[in-house]
Amino acid sequence: MRAGLYVHVPFCPRKCGYCDFYSLVPDSSMTGPLVDALVAELNQVADAAAIHVETIFVGGGTPTSLPCEDLMRLMRTLGDIAGRDRVVEFTVEANPGTLDIQRAEILRSHGVTRVSIGAQSFDADELERLDRIHRPDQIALSAEIVRQTGFEHFSLDLIFGIPGQTPVSWQRSLESAIGLGPDHLACYGLTYEPGTPLYERLRRGEVTAADEDLEASLYEQGIAYLARVGFEQYEISNFARPGARCLHNLLYWQNQPTVGVGPSAVSYVAGTRRRNVPDWAEYVRRVRAELSPVSESETLGERARAGETAMLMLRLVEGIDRGRFRTATGFDPHELFGGVIEQHVATGLLEKDGERIALTTRGRLVADRVMADFLLPESKEGG
Amino acid sequence: MFDRTLIRNFSIIAHIDHGKSTLADRILVATNAVAQRDMRAQFLDDMDLEREMGITIKANRATVFREFEGREYMLNLIDTPGHVDFHYEVSRAMAACEGVLLLVDASQGVQAQTVANAYLAIEAGLEIIPVINKIDLPTARPEDVALELEHVVGIPADQAVFTSAKTGVGLPELFKAIIERVPPPSGDVDAPLQALVYDAKPDVHRGVICHVRVREGRLNRGDRILLMAARRTYQVGEIGKFCPRPRMVDEIAAGEVGYIVAGIKTLHDVNIGDTITLDEPRADQALPGYKPPQRMVFCDFYPGPMTEAPELRSALEKLWLNDSSFSFDPVHSDALSFGFRCGFLGLLHMKIIQERLERESDIDVVQTAPTVNYEILLKSGQVVTIDSPSDLPDGSTVEEIREPVIAASLIVPADCIGAIMKIADDRRGQYQRTEYLSPERVMLTYRFPLAETIFDFYDRLKAATRGYGTMDYEFVGYEAGRLVKLDILVNGTPVDALSIIVHRDKAERRGRALIRRLRTEIERHLFDVPLQAAIGNRVIARETIKALRKNVTAKCYGGDVTRKRKLLEKQKEGKRRMKMVGQVTIPQEAFMAVLDPGDD
Ligand SMILES: Nc1nc2c(ncn2[C@@H]2O[C@H](COP(=O)(O)OP(=O)(O)OP(=O)(O)O)[C@@H](O)[C@H]2O)c(=O)[nH]1
Ligand code: SF4
Ligand SMILES: [Mg+2]
Repeated sequence: MRAGLYVHVPFCPRKCGYCDFYSLVPDSSMTGPLVDALVAELNQVADAAAIHVETIFVGGGTPTSLPCEDLMRLMRTLGDIAGRDRVVEFTVEANPGTLDIQRAEILRSHGVTRVSIGAQSFDADELERLDRIHRPDQIALSAEIVRQTGFEHFSLDLIFGIPGQTPVSWQRSLESAIGLGPDHLACYGLTYEPGTPLYERLRRGEVTAADEDLEASLYEQGIAYLARVGFEQYEISNFARPGARCLHNLLYWQNQPTVGVGPSAVSYVAGTRRRNVPDWAEYVRRVRAELSPVSESETLGERARAGETAMLMLRLVEGIDRGRFRTATGFDPHELFGGVIEQHVATGLLEKDGERIALTTRGRLVADRVMADFLLPESKEGG
Repeated sequence: MFDRTLIRNFSIIAHIDHGKSTLADRILVATNAVAQRDMRAQFLDDMDLEREMGITIKANRATVFREFEGREYMLNLIDTPGHVDFHYEVSRAMAACEGVLLLVDASQGVQAQTVANAYLAIEAGLEIIPVINKIDLPTARPEDVALELEHVVGIPADQAVFTSAKTGVGLPELFKAIIERVPPPSGDVDAPLQALVYDAKPDVHRGVICHVRVREGRLNRGDRILLMAARRTYQVGEIGKFCPRPRMVDEIAAGEVGYIVAGIKTLHDVNIGDTITLDEPRADQALPGYKPPQRMVFCDFYPGPMTEAPELRSALEKLWLNDSSFSFDPVHSDALSFGFRCGFLGLLHMKIIQERLERESDIDVVQTAPTVNYEILLKSGQVVTIDSPSDLPDGSTVEEIREPVIAASLIVPADCIGAIMKIADDRRGQYQRTEYLSPERVMLTYRFPLAETIFDFYDRLKAATRGYGTMDYEFVGYEAGRLVKLDILVNGTPVDALSIIVHRDKAERRGRALIRRLRTEIERHLFDVPLQAAIGNRVIARETIKALRKNVTAKCYGGDVTRKRKLLEKQKEGKRRMKMVGQVTIPQEAFMAVLDPGDD
């Protein structure tokens, strides 16, 4: 079975106010045991003959914040897998302020093909409001290192809807990003996730969220600008030059098998989604004791799984590919969702031709509403 | 056969929460009917809802035995509900008694339902034993309260028995009073059998169990009986009494209550209020039976999106067979399609029925706001009654709209009179009189249009009286008023279930308040949703719910899929109690916006 491989490195130099990933600020005694455990779990995956790794994505957290020797050990293991399985894409996430020449060399020499940099904004105040550790000029520095080291692909992440952000500052961030020469860009609307410090600040009235209208127009502004400079939107938040789409992430949106390694990482194999325990120490303990690190698992019935697949595929600009959907779920989308599709086509939120069902530009802005209608209950007839 | 002169039948009546059910508990324990270790508070309240809400909804009966001066007495007690919605249960209970225990909370004193129930008992010619309860409370003032009672309803204070249903203090005196003062039942055991069916319960194994009270004659196991209205005969297989657990006996006779099992298959075969006699010899006449209780408020039930109309119908039928205190009739709304118009005794009753319906049949119900019924005098001279504003005939044919009016008695602290007068004024109340119960407490009597009291009136009464005010009311009749129909249009479509009949002078205010509430209750759609309130073709208020601009999850990678899916599912689940009107989804809460009085 072909699958994507995700590795979660749960460490960051400091927590960002909006972040709800499982990550923490480590002390120096933590990184060694964690990487040992990652390597051990990876070896198990590599030994599982049934799995053929197609893409690798190392995320977090901030993988490039690992000490060099730990990073080296992790990369060696991954490099072996990449070589053995002839991996087509090997991405590592990096944050400005943590990527130096030495670490970039470690990545490159072990076969990394793509680096994704968490730029978020080129406005110093906005970065501060997000509690990012870096300043705008450090983004350029990281980009320079990436270019000189010679990776095939290079992506930047940006955030819009930051408190205090204006169309002008957003435009500056977009242009600065493009100026650094990436071939891929992710633009995320800021989300206030319950439990994060930013969310608490919002609740206490210390920050004001961008209003819905502003947020919508920033989003549209980004889409229009990026199209002008040759970046195609291929997912709700993702844009790329031709040939530079992230193959690993495409597997998620097509609900294809993926294997997750590391604390809190999620695997999706043979219709079952499993999540590793989101606790650094517990994860290490279990792997050392040769126990399963899985703490949650979910297997949906056929119909619910088809609904979930539709939800994911609709994130793609190409939408639900009828043939691919049939192969993945065993159902024809028109038979399963006929009424819902017609209803949203009528209101202009969806468009379809014989082979595809996709959100329109307007539909993409209210995608959650549309997707909810595609979710199917386990039993009882259609929703 | 038990000596008739040693039987006592009595009801326990009081204002809500004054301790009726708890006193019944003490009686059950004191007579060893229930062992102390099997006791649980409000033992006789056996419905789930009664236990959850801590109130009695249906009257409950128990037979207990007590020795007094060397003889054993049979005491048939009925614990009644205190809430005003269930007055009819109290009247029915009294019809089966020779006496009542009129309970009054020693700390709260005489309240609105105390007075109302006392008058009912006086009218029924029953022996009244005043019982001042909760004397264990530090704030108890039993003597004052006994005097209050004397002052208001004329029952001499020196007849009062002081009890604590919590500690059991005063129970021996109470038994003595019951046995000495309540007369024995008057029926003749040798007359032809007349027994009233006062309740019926289905039982999977034995068929229907009829709860009966024998008025005349006697009923034995093996007798062939006739249900007089149903005109069917059955053979009695089992007779028993509730002690309070069912206990089999061979015979029950005039003045006693019990149950019979007689091979009656379904609840459809028995009418509550029917008379049982023997097939041979038969009684000449049936007992008066029960008047159907008067329904005061009405609303529609529609099936929620996950429920089908036939499911709702069978759920209503099932509940109705069990408890016919509400009414239901099929109705068709232009906006909401097929549903049922239901009539209730009051708002609490409505809430209880809706709750039981959803719970006992696992369905979802979308409910429209409660309304009253109206008498319409047509130009043709004909009078029709409507129980929904949407049924109001075309304006050109209507001569006069008459609304139901109630007489309300409000018992409040004397220093709150001003605040109450202000509320009464807002609600078109007509002042009748003031009576002082004591220097601190007064009873105010008003006439109100019933419609003015069904939204947040009680809350305002409580707020204006620091929680002390209580109210009782009775229906007096229909009176003409300057009433108009207010229509609500959502996205250009009139939604009949949202229309209301209002007083002309209040129409603008209510219309604006309603639209404002709707704007917050209906969520943003994928398009603008205009809202309008209109009288005839004149729009008096409008608002627009702006279209949703952005609603999309930014990130969805492998680790986010499950959580994201669940979030969307929850969003969808939230729609269970919603109705689609054209393209607009209207949540349950929006239908209640109609109740916003628009008071400032
Ligand atoms: N302290 C004290 N509390 C009492 C006494 N009698 C009843 N209570 C409390 O008063 C509350 C109401 O008692 P119930 O017996 O349910 O009252 P009720 O009159 O049956 O109420 P409804 O059936 O709702 O009309 C409960 O919390 C009882 O525990 C008493 O003698 N002393
Ligand atoms: S760097 Fe990324 S993972 Fe780390 S705290 Fe910030 S947002 Fe979270
Ligand atoms: Mg009670």
